[in-house]
Amino acid sequence: MINENKYSIREKLKFFDCNCSIGRVVYPYLMDVFSVEDLIGEMDTAGIEEALVYHTVAKDCHPFSGNQLLIDEIENFNRLYPAWVVIPHYTGEMPEPKILLKEMKKNNVKAVWMYPSEKYHSFSISEWCSGELLFALENARIPLLLNLDSVTWENIYKIVNNHRNLPVIITNCGYRNNRYFYPLVEKYKNLFIEISWFMGAGAVKDFVDNFGSSQLLFGTQMPGYTGTSAVSLLTYADISESDKKAIAGKNLKSLLKEVCYE
Amino acid sequence: MNRYFDRVHKGIPIDDVEIIDMHAHLGPYYNMHIPDCSAESMIKNMDLCGIDKAVISPNIGLSSDFVSGNNLMLQTIKSYRQRFYGACIVNGNYPVLSMRELDRCFKLEKDVVIIKLHPALTRCKMNDKRMKPVYRFASEHKLFILVHTWLDEDPYGNQDIFAEVAKEYPDIKWIMGHSGGPYGSYKAVEIAKKLPNVFLDIAISMRPARQIEFLVKEIGSERIFFGTDNPFLDPRPQIGRVCLADISQKDKENIFSKNARKYIEF
Repeated sequence: MINENKYSIREKLKFFDCNCSIGRVVYPYLMDVFSVEDLIGEMDTAGIEEALVYHTVAKDCHPFSGNQLLIDEIENFNRLYPAWVVIPHYTGEMPEPKILLKEMKKNNVKAVWMYPSEKYHSFSISEWCSGELLFALENARIPLLLNLDSVTWENIYKIVNNHRNLPVIITNCGYRNNRYFYPLVEKYKNLFIEISWFMGAGAVKDFVDNFGSSQLLFGTQMPGYTGTSAVSLLTYADISESDKKAIAGKNLKSLLKEVCYE
Repeated sequence: MNRYFDRVHKGIPIDDVEIIDMHAHLGPYYNMHIPDCSAESMIKNMDLCGIDKAVISPNIGLSSDFVSGNNLMLQTIKSYRQRFYGACIVNGNYPVLSMRELDRCFKLEKDVVIIKLHPALTRCKMNDKRMKPVYRFASEHKLFILVHTWLDEDPYGNQDIFAEVAKEYPDIKWIMGHSGGPYGSYKAVEIAKKLPNVFLDIAISMRPARQIEFLVKEIGSERIFFGTDNPFLDPRPQIGRVCLADISQKDKENIFSKNARKYIEF
């Protein structure tokens, strides 16, 4: 039998999930989960306290519509924090960066997603297209979340290299990516990896042993995916309790605290 | 409150139920860095979350040389009795050698308990006529064959081909690896409902919400095996996924090991 005294000093980790959404999707799978209440239910099942959320309409239809829906729908839920989806302003669909940041401040939005590539919002993440927006985000220290299926590692390298004060969070970073991002994580402290798919055997411990815990962030992709797996990936990890706490939520909280709109 | 909630959240190994991992591997792989891929590190990680035993097919045998894979499997299960059990790898491109490997592995070692087939990596269709001797061997000995299955996009071992062959060989107990992939659940349960010799395994990297609940609701828990894909994938996420699932304790026990023990002597 397990000696439970060995674990008695452990407290439940406080999870702050950086990769959640609300909103209906075109292709639901197994169950229809889309509302704020649905997400909260999934969070409770997994034991996750807080989450940074975007709206699927902002990703799958248009940022302008989805971002406003997000603010309206999570207004009464103090466990959820808004993350907007943004695009460059040149077509007039999104305010110029200066105005955008004012809107974000007004709505207490402290993180953004960008979905470049033809698969999503069909714009370039390169400087000639997104540079002005990236500089504005960098100046305000607003974390930028990028789904790995929307950017290349070459582009991620350019962003973290050109914008050293911009926190860049790579989400959905699968277990076959270590050889790409190890050299980047070592060099660029503004690069963060979200762990929902970071699941090669021993990957969390190896990352922490090599780079410390400050550049790993807890994420789940709820409600489309279960949060239970990411939870036990971390709770059973062979790393210190302080490292677990950092990854579970402290790192994300620190990033959001550093946001300065002015 | 879920019985395992506190244990999982405090990282206490699951020890009130035996856990048998029916889908594991061993060793490094060509297109990814796997920090903990040795037998020792696999056991360490299994102990950290409470996995008692694992059935392994080494990675070298899947993407490279299946005979070397079986050699490593035999050596490892001898070195770690009661922790590792063997899956004998066959490759349809080498029909004669595959038969030799089946004879060799199952005669040499009582802890070789299933056959492993990866149609996508061998690029030999599951219904290729060269596979027939393997299936005759498995039928004769009433063995399990664990098959990698992955959506319709896999032309070698998708769920339709799997179902066709499973129907043709009813004496074989077929494990649909990964339950057909992350979005294969609807078809997986449809096939399992029609074919009583089909079992599902839950090893997967992308884990749709409520997938365990769905599988149990549709076909019951008696034909679902616990699997992790360790060390391709860390085994820890699968513990939370089953322990925190909204299914009964009996269902969890079935999935964790009772189903495997019903058919295989560990």
